[in-house]
Amino acid sequence: MLAVEGLTVAYGGLKALSQVSLAVAEGQFVTIVGPNGAGKTTLFKAISGTVPTEAGRIRYEERDLLAMPAAARAHLGIAHVPEGRQVFASLTVLENLEMGAYPAAGRRQWARNLERVMALFPVLAERRGQLAGTLSGGEQQMLAIGRGLASAPRLLMLDEPSMGLAPAVADLIFERIGELHREDRLTILLVEQRVAEAVQSCDFGYVLETGRVVLAGSSEALLKDDRIRTVYLGM
Amino acid sequence: MFAETFLEALAAGLFLGCIYGLMCVGLGLIFGVMRVINFAQGDFLMLGMYFTLYVVSVWGLLAFLGPAAAPFVGAVLAGPALFVGGYLLHRLLIARVSGTSVTGSEDEGRSAQLILTLGVALALENGALILFGSTPQSARTTLALRAWEIPLLYDPTAAVFINKASVVACVLSIVIAAALYLLINRSRLGKTLRAAADNPTAAIYMGIDVDRAHRIAFGIGTGVTAVAGGLVATYHPFQPYVGLDYVIIMYAGVVMGGMGSILGAFWGGLTIGLVQQLSTLVLPTQLQNAAIFAVFLLVVLMRPQGLFGRAAERI
Amino acid sequence: MAGRGGLLFPLAAIAIMALGWLALGLAVGNSYYQLMMTLVPIWAVLGLSWNLLSGYTGLVSFGHASFFGLGAYTVTILLVRLDLTPWFGIPLGMLVGVAAGLVIGYPTFRLRGHYFALAMLAYPLALLYVFEWLGYQEVPLPMKREAPAWYMQFNDYHVYMALAVGLLVVALLISLAVERSRFGRSLLAIKQNEPAAEAAGIDTLKWKMRAITLSGAVAAAAGGLYAVVLLVVTPDSVFGVLTSAQALVVTLFGGTGTLWGPVIGAVILIPLSETLQAELGDVIPGIQGVVYGLAIILVILLAPEGIYWRVRDWLHLARGTPGAAFRSRAPAAPALVPVPAERQTSGQVLLEVRGLSKSFGGLRALDGIAFQVEEGAILGIIGPNGAGKTTLFNLLNGFLKPNGGDVVFAGQTLVGLKPNRICRLGVGRTFQVVRAFQRMSVLENVVVGAYVRAAAEDEAFEIAREAVARVGLSPRLEALAGALSNKELRLMELARALAGRPRLLLMDEPLAGLAAAEVEEMLAAVRALPSSGTTVVIIEHTMRAMMRLAERFVVLNHGRVIAVGRPSEVTADAGVVEAYLGSKWTALHARG
Repeated sequence: MLAVEGLTVAYGGLKALSQVSLAVAEGQFVTIVGPNGAGKTTLFKAISGTVPTEAGRIRYEERDLLAMPAAARAHLGIAHVPEGRQVFASLTVLENLEMGAYPAAGRRQWARNLERVMALFPVLAERRGQLAGTLSGGEQQMLAIGRGLASAPRLLMLDEPSMGLAPAVADLIFERIGELHREDRLTILLVEQRVAEAVQSCDFGYVLETGRVVLAGSSEALLKDDRIRTVYLGM
Repeated sequence: MFAETFLEALAAGLFLGCIYGLMCVGLGLIFGVMRVINFAQGDFLMLGMYFTLYVVSVWGLLAFLGPAAAPFVGAVLAGPALFVGGYLLHRLLIARVSGTSVTGSEDEGRSAQLILTLGVALALENGALILFGSTPQSARTTLALRAWEIPLLYDPTAAVFINKASVVACVLSIVIAAALYLLINRSRLGKTLRAAADNPTAAIYMGIDVDRAHRIAFGIGTGVTAVAGGLVATYHPFQPYVGLDYVIIMYAGVVMGGMGSILGAFWGGLTIGLVQQLSTLVLPTQLQNAAIFAVFLLVVLMRPQGLFGRAAERI
Repeated sequence: MAGRGGLLFPLAAIAIMALGWLALGLAVGNSYYQLMMTLVPIWAVLGLSWNLLSGYTGLVSFGHASFFGLGAYTVTILLVRLDLTPWFGIPLGMLVGVAAGLVIGYPTFRLRGHYFALAMLAYPLALLYVFEWLGYQEVPLPMKREAPAWYMQFNDYHVYMALAVGLLVVALLISLAVERSRFGRSLLAIKQNEPAAEAAGIDTLKWKMRAITLSGAVAAAAGGLYAVVLLVVTPDSVFGVLTSAQALVVTLFGGTGTLWGPVIGAVILIPLSETLQAELGDVIPGIQGVVYGLAIILVILLAPEGIYWRVRDWLHLARGTPGAAFRSRAPAAPALVPVPAERQTSGQVLLEVRGLSKSFGGLRALDGIAFQVEEGAILGIIGPNGAGKTTLFNLLNGFLKPNGGDVVFAGQTLVGLKPNRICRLGVGRTFQVVRAFQRMSVLENVVVGAYVRAAAEDEAFEIAREAVARVGLSPRLEALAGALSNKELRLMELARALAGRPRLLLMDEPLAGLAAAEVEEMLAAVRALPSSGTTVVIIEHTMRAMMRLAERFVVLNHGRVIAVGRPSEVTADAGVVEAYLGSKWTALHARG
């Protein structure tokens, strides 16, 4: 479904990504882990089109993604749940979800998706009229995911959904993400800091370090690989 | 009698204040919500005035409506006309220095925006001077010459005169401001505009064309202010240089009302109108505007979140 | 900005320009053009005054007409009321300009960008109304036939021209002096990156106040001479927005941040607009404003820094001088520096953090942070994203005030002190994003950091050279910053911080984005610091490199300290592994 080939991204002389290649097949749960500064968020931004790329290709369902303007990509069914939630703070919960349903596919299935999101995250139903900026971190994360789901996506990209959240809340979010993959058969691309949880839930995983893919393998293979620890802790 | 003068000033302040409220709402959308500086906002106000004049008096397009109603309708039509103007201005010039692209630094774009829109303001007001001449004009409605006489309750011999035109203009202002409020807060377009201003990056992820949203919001802002200009023109004279005075008034209103709030901008404008008219009771005419500037400076220095705004505004 | 090189070239240029202008003036007979040749220098002086504030600091002022008008009215009123000659009136007007600068500057500098611009716009407009109300609609300067020279009134226009050129020369000399001194460099540092300048020990408020008072004085002088030349003053002509715009446009067009900019702008724009006004003013009134408006728009879109810089950059490029913006050749790959044996620290505690806490709204960013830094050590602060590391640095530096706890440096508490004061006490900081003066040499970029230690310029440059040598960048001392590679920029940033001779240096992610070979060079430079007297605390994410650099770590997670110790201890600590890899990882790999 999604194929990244030889992607290189540079910000003013600093190479954020170097020759990165990865693939996500339909229905798969792929995770990307790696320490800070590894380029994970940059990768997502390149897929979504908010950073310029220097070299490489990104193909999504036979389309050349890099040839499309950023705002058009969401309409293809790619939902990006950004790092740090990035909810629309001055809009209410419901309005945020409405914005999520901006693409045509989202609007068509609005009622159904709304119900699903509320069932998945009941607290959002409680707070539907509240301003998003006043929600707690965990609630905002749920809202951000809900917003992504409201677009009726074919590919759901999540960037560090557990960041800054208390462990119990992060666990809950993770559970729901797993549920989405199992029950709704959603294709998921997940970037995470919590390596074990991410690698356990996924089908396939990639490890990035300073802009390159240094490890890749199936869930079982990675779990057994102690090299990951060295990547994170340096020794 | 003092009571009459006071009540008349109060009434004038309220009615004019509603028009000021409308113009501040226009700026509030641009500055308060999108954080774009537009020094040329006052000149869009001025262009709204001249548009009304031309449509009504010079070209006589609305003659069939009669001299009382025509100016008001002309004023309202100034909205769409200057929406187009504002939209184009943003597209051609402002977007280039705005850094709407998410990799640009916000602060660097600001200073360039300031200077660019000052240049536009200069060009517009002097261009207007060339095209329209410097004689003060007016697009007065015949209603401006009529007033309601309202006797005071406790003294039947005394009466307060309320200019009819100002009341109509006030009502129109409130209606349009209310319509805009509904548009921004209830309609899908409004929510899209707010989202694009709130968090452009996230908006792109939703598939919203943020650049276009900004242009539309800008155009609506200039259009609304232009309508307010047209309404002022129905009973006040004007000339090409009024823009600059009104810029400070509008910013004062938006800042006082609290940034990011359309409703707050309206209240801010209303307050400014009241302050201005009531100050005529104690200050000579020439110092009216100086008084407003003083109020503006005080608010900005001492309470930047505004009188009506929430304390934790995203600035 | 020709910061280097002698004074000979600019002084000669000024002299030639002045003499040339006067010579040309002698040749011109038409009184209209004589007036224009007198006004151009005056507007250039106003432009120079605007440049002194806005060109160097980057704080855009739309209200220089305030000072100009106050100067004009001071001279006029003193002449009319007190019969005081403008020879005294103009200097007094300059004092009024200084006072106005103080009164306006102090409150207005506390405002952020757009509010600053709006407030500055409001001041002259308010003054305009006040003066109109005071009855000064149009004040002609009385003719003094008995002793015209005493009252600065002359029959021969050339004298006025000479006066104007004289004032211009004075203003140019003032600008030159400012540009070449620490005054100018400090202002540029503020423009470049105000927080970084604060952290480097520059008292930003003090310099901004100095800039606005000097600017006010110069603008007032221009206004005073303007009144003398035109013999009539109206509120609109001196307080009007066109005047403020003129100050801005002339400099913006010609070039901001350089003394030649306003001159170039004035020489091109004023004759153009005045001629248009004269020729077409009857038919097309307001042509002047349109020209200025369009000039502003074009300049902002095409050459935001002005003609001077555009031409200079183009010339550099064409000549292929070392100043051209091409990357230097790749450095030779250095040998991998081995991990050093444990360094001996002195054992003395240099920095102590006690129970430091910081909340933003309801969010607890840091909670009870406590650790010590020994003199001579290199301490690493690490932790997952969002752990609060940069917040901690901002607290140590003085950019934020803690909600609780204390920071004690060499026995003195730092809480509540301004960043430049903290720098003075011996705490330096490098920042992640390096914003350098592109067109200045490495030495000039670094010298700004030395101002906190040296009162004299020569001493400051010496210290700067030392600092550059300390990081191994001496071969590039004269290279322009715009031509440096990323690694060299980082080293230059380090040198700037070291020029302040800090006992403690806070480094914020110095290795981010560097290639492997470049990382090694940075590591070598940082490792050498303690032996030359600087203790280092460093935030970094690049763990492999950090493990070889720091001998002690403080690990933060969710705003708390979860581990302190040597690299081997910390990476084996279950809590740390859990923070980075998640609790399940530790469970799965029970050997920890």
